[in-house]
Amino acid sequence: MITTISILKKFIDFVNINLTAEIINCIIMIHFFELIKNGIGLSRIGKIKIHKSSKKSIYTPNIIIPFKQFFSNNAEFIDSFGCHDIFIISEEKYLKEEILNKRFGESFFLYTHYGTLQKFQEILEEKKEIFHNSNIIPIIPFNIPTISINKKFSENEIKNHLKNIEIILKDNPNINFGLSIKIYKDFDLFNLYISLIENNINIKILNFIDLFKNLTYYRRIIDLIKDIKENLDNNLVLMASGTIISNYLPILVYFGFDLVDSSYSLLISSNNLYESIETLLPISKIKFLPCSCLSCEGKLSKLLGEKHSTEKIDLLCYHNLLTIKNYMNKTVQYLHTEDFRNFVEKSSLNNPNFISLLRIFDKAYYNFTKNYSQLNQKNKIINCLGPSSYYRPDFNYFRNKINENFEPESWTKLIVLFPCSAKKPYSLSKSHKKFLKILRKIPEFPAIQEIILTSPLGLIPRQLEDIYPAHSYDIPVTGDWDNEEIKISSKMLIRVLNKFNKDIPIICHLNGRYLDIVNQTEKEIEHKFFYTDMKEHPTSNDSLDHLNILIQKHISSYLPDASITKENYLSNTWLRKFKKIIDFQFGSGLGTLLINNEIKYRKNKLHTKIEIFNSNTKSIIGNFEISSGKIQLAIKGAEKIAFEKDFLKYIVFDGSNISGNTLFRPGIIDFSSDLYTNDNVCIFDKEKKNVIGMGNMIVSSEFIKNTTSGRVVKLYEIKK
Amino acid sequence: MKLRNNSSRNGHLSEEIDHLRKYSLNRNRKFTIEQLNKPVSFWIKKERLLNEIGKEFTIILRTKGCYWALEHAGCSMCGYIEDANIDNVNSQQVINQFNYALDKKLEEINSDKCSYVLKIFNSGSFFDDNEISEDIRCHIYKRISIIPNIKEVTIETRVEFINKNVLKEMQKYLENKYVELGIGLESVDDYIRNNYINKNLLFDDFIRVTKLSHEMGIGIKAYLLFKPPFLNEQGAIDDCVHSIKTLLNFNIDTISINPCNIQKGSLVEYLWNQKRYRPPWFYSLFESFKEALKQEDFERVRILCDPSGSGSKRGIHNCSSKECNGNMKEILQNFILNQDLRELDSLDSECICKKKYDIQKYQN
Ligand code: SF4
Ligand SMILES: [Zn+2]
Ligand SMILES: [Zn+2]
Repeated sequence: MITTISILKKFIDFVNINLTAEIINCIIMIHFFELIKNGIGLSRIGKIKIHKSSKKSIYTPNIIIPFKQFFSNNAEFIDSFGCHDIFIISEEKYLKEEILNKRFGESFFLYTHYGTLQKFQEILEEKKEIFHNSNIIPIIPFNIPTISINKKFSENEIKNHLKNIEIILKDNPNINFGLSIKIYKDFDLFNLYISLIENNINIKILNFIDLFKNLTYYRRIIDLIKDIKENLDNNLVLMASGTIISNYLPILVYFGFDLVDSSYSLLISSNNLYESIETLLPISKIKFLPCSCLSCEGKLSKLLGEKHSTEKIDLLCYHNLLTIKNYMNKTVQYLHTEDFRNFVEKSSLNNPNFISLLRIFDKAYYNFTKNYSQLNQKNKIINCLGPSSYYRPDFNYFRNKINENFEPESWTKLIVLFPCSAKKPYSLSKSHKKFLKILRKIPEFPAIQEIILTSPLGLIPRQLEDIYPAHSYDIPVTGDWDNEEIKISSKMLIRVLNKFNKDIPIICHLNGRYLDIVNQTEKEIEHKFFYTDMKEHPTSNDSLDHLNILIQKHISSYLPDASITKENYLSNTWLRKFKKIIDFQFGSGLGTLLINNEIKYRKNKLHTKIEIFNSNTKSIIGNFEISSGKIQLAIKGAEKIAFEKDFLKYIVFDGSNISGNTLFRPGIIDFSSDLYTNDNVCIFDKEKKNVIGMGNMIVSSEFIKNTTSGRVVKLYEIKK
Repeated sequence: MKLRNNSSRNGHLSEEIDHLRKYSLNRNRKFTIEQLNKPVSFWIKKERLLNEIGKEFTIILRTKGCYWALEHAGCSMCGYIEDANIDNVNSQQVINQFNYALDKKLEEINSDKCSYVLKIFNSGSFFDDNEISEDIRCHIYKRISIIPNIKEVTIETRVEFINKNVLKEMQKYLENKYVELGIGLESVDDYIRNNYINKNLLFDDFIRVTKLSHEMGIGIKAYLLFKPPFLNEQGAIDDCVHSIKTLLNFNIDTISINPCNIQKGSLVEYLWNQKRYRPPWFYSLFESFKEALKQEDFERVRILCDPSGSGSKRGIHNCSSKECNGNMKEILQNFILNQDLRELDSLDSECICKKKYDIQKYQN
């Protein structure tokens, strides 16, 4: 594709058209892999087109089914797997046009050989035609040596292996390959592969053999994946093979694997083990078949008590393959429509190593993950399971953004701390309605900064209660917080309260464990704390009465700077919110440039959006989208802040006009390093003089840096 | 004898073997004088001769041991050094060993209607003067030259000891017998041979001595190690097929396949103990034969295979069933004796382990 672009560029230079980038941007890029959408963690949804001429693509993540004997003689297999997207062939006899292009013409194939590299090479040579003309990708094997005796040995072997495959790659520049990667026990040996992968663009798939075999190498596994993402083209397809059973799938997908080889299911079948998803059960123990596939409902159930037979292994193969295939479907379904992270956590409960892997990844690798993770989800209920959820990347992102971007309103006179509610946004809950009823009666209501304490997010300033994930997370409100949760909240509270003048009084309308948060905070900061007398619970009349009394008592004890005027003072709740949301999204201080008392807003009929506009000029600043909790700036709005030096959400396009609804990688000449998936982003023209479009990031700055192709921004407005 | 500098060799394997070997040799027992005057063992049994079914008379002599193992750790699958007497065995003792065996069996051989192949093995190199001196060799030649029933003679040696002189000397006595030099080539692949087996031998050198021997009318028997360590089943099949096909092109007279077995004190034993190596399956061996050979090839080559420890967990085996392994051994024996590929398909009912094998073949 790179060559196509350069040829095109030359042609355009030749006819002297000044539209280079626009034209290039309009060409639909045909690549091997195309990222469609990032999910949480490193998970992603993508599309693979194995052969240039094929119309069909397969979607990733996907499971690879071993193509074996049973596809030629077993009707049940053909019924259940015949239409599967992707198979792996390991026997030469199936490398036939008749199978690849006719009988299974709708599917994609991988081919590998489980013996020596030399034999693989011979087959490749012999069947060159097939590899050129069919939907099949050869995966260069790395089977030998099967084991290593020490690190030096591994190193020598890998070097020698790479020398041999370099020849294969160079000899077949027009065939796309998958590359099997083996590192034995020494993860740093992966470095040996890097230059080979970089130098051979016909490597499209990286097949990691047994990377997850020893799950206790948490950090080494993660470091390796980090290495791949940071040093190699992000459009390389990651494939996992080797020791893999169903319950690995969610975690593999979470860690960014696009393809998973299910061949191991056959091996477990041959050892008479039965996939129950949670674990593997010896078939001899099974009395109650927990499945109703053709095998379990049929013959397998009758053979349970019988001794092992070829037939029984076949039946087990069928069940085990079907189970892992279905579980992959489930995983992908959750990735598409649900809070996938929650699914990953839940399924990880089967294996303590998975939980550890997740926790370490969350805690120590957030700065890496945020470059690949979805940080904002629409229309989803985010369920928190407990400790495994505390440091999800989207939660971390939220906390960090508040810590960094939230600034006090200059007119604040009083701070009130509230407990959270189950209903989101909080102000729609019964309890918060009661709190607000008291607060709104106070003439200086806009000068009160409400802060809601919550777990595991920490805290949420009232102005930001409508953004993700504050507006959509769900955790059982039992008040039964653990020490970790207390620590998260108090740390954040200290950080945020320190932004306020220390003479501003703080009223705590809290009870139970919430008070522990405040106790920890009070020790660390200079502000004065006042506590309402809690009678029974925060919403009891007595408690509310006392809240009222306390507020009345302290509302005037601090007087903000006299320079506050009508112009820079916002009393409208939504305007206060918009301003803080803009700060949250684009950087602190930028909200002031956009939101003032001239700004008006209106909800659309369906109540899905709030349009924000200037009441004098009638120009639209942007839209607040309720489901995502994000403001989508309009070009007119962006123009007001985009030229500020602190504005970091931009991309510079190689041209002066942009068209279509997607911005592709090749059209980009410069970009901020602060772009994350789903960020609202502003597109500058080549000279960086005009805002020519607005969109949402499909990927991050890191991805742009590490790729040469692919979709980058989904545009929703372009300058006509 | 100078070591060839083979730059592609992975020295780390040799270090590892050396380490294991030291451990094993330290506890090596000394042999009594009586033992030193008798061979390690000797036997007569059915064997495929060049053109007929006959018998083999095998004598295993105890000598100082293979220099390659003694001085350079040796090959990864080899435990022969366990049989050797490190503190040398004098010439007379070796002669006594030979005489002892031959005298015991001479009558049987002379009175037999069958033709014989005499195999003299010394777990090292027959032509290495340090193991078997010229005197001993001449003594042996002289004695066998006058036994008419012995039609073929096979000895074993490393390539570096083969030269015109030793061959001439042998020819002098054994003119009327078919002589074959057994050489542990193990694989035609230099990388596998030197990095996984630690053989320190190049294929080119093997071919050089093959030409020399053929010029002098002496045959070559190449040993192939089936499933060297670090190879999986399919890899073993690929390597074996590749080796057989290549050797056919070089007109090697006899190819003897040795399925790797677990020998005491070897690296392979160490890996096997850790469950990181499994001896090959019979199925793989049969598949290799079928893939590598056509029936007409047997007009040019003799294929031998007499696996030690076959059917046991230390040798080539399928599942743990006696019946299954027994069937396999019988098929193999018939195939070798008759040199007929059809024998390999003569199994009536398949054991359930075939299914397992088909799946597990792809594991290590
Ligand atoms: S296999 Fe032969 S050459 Fe290798 S160590 Fe053993 S006896 Fe010596
Ligand atoms: Zn089932
Ligand atoms: Zn069996």
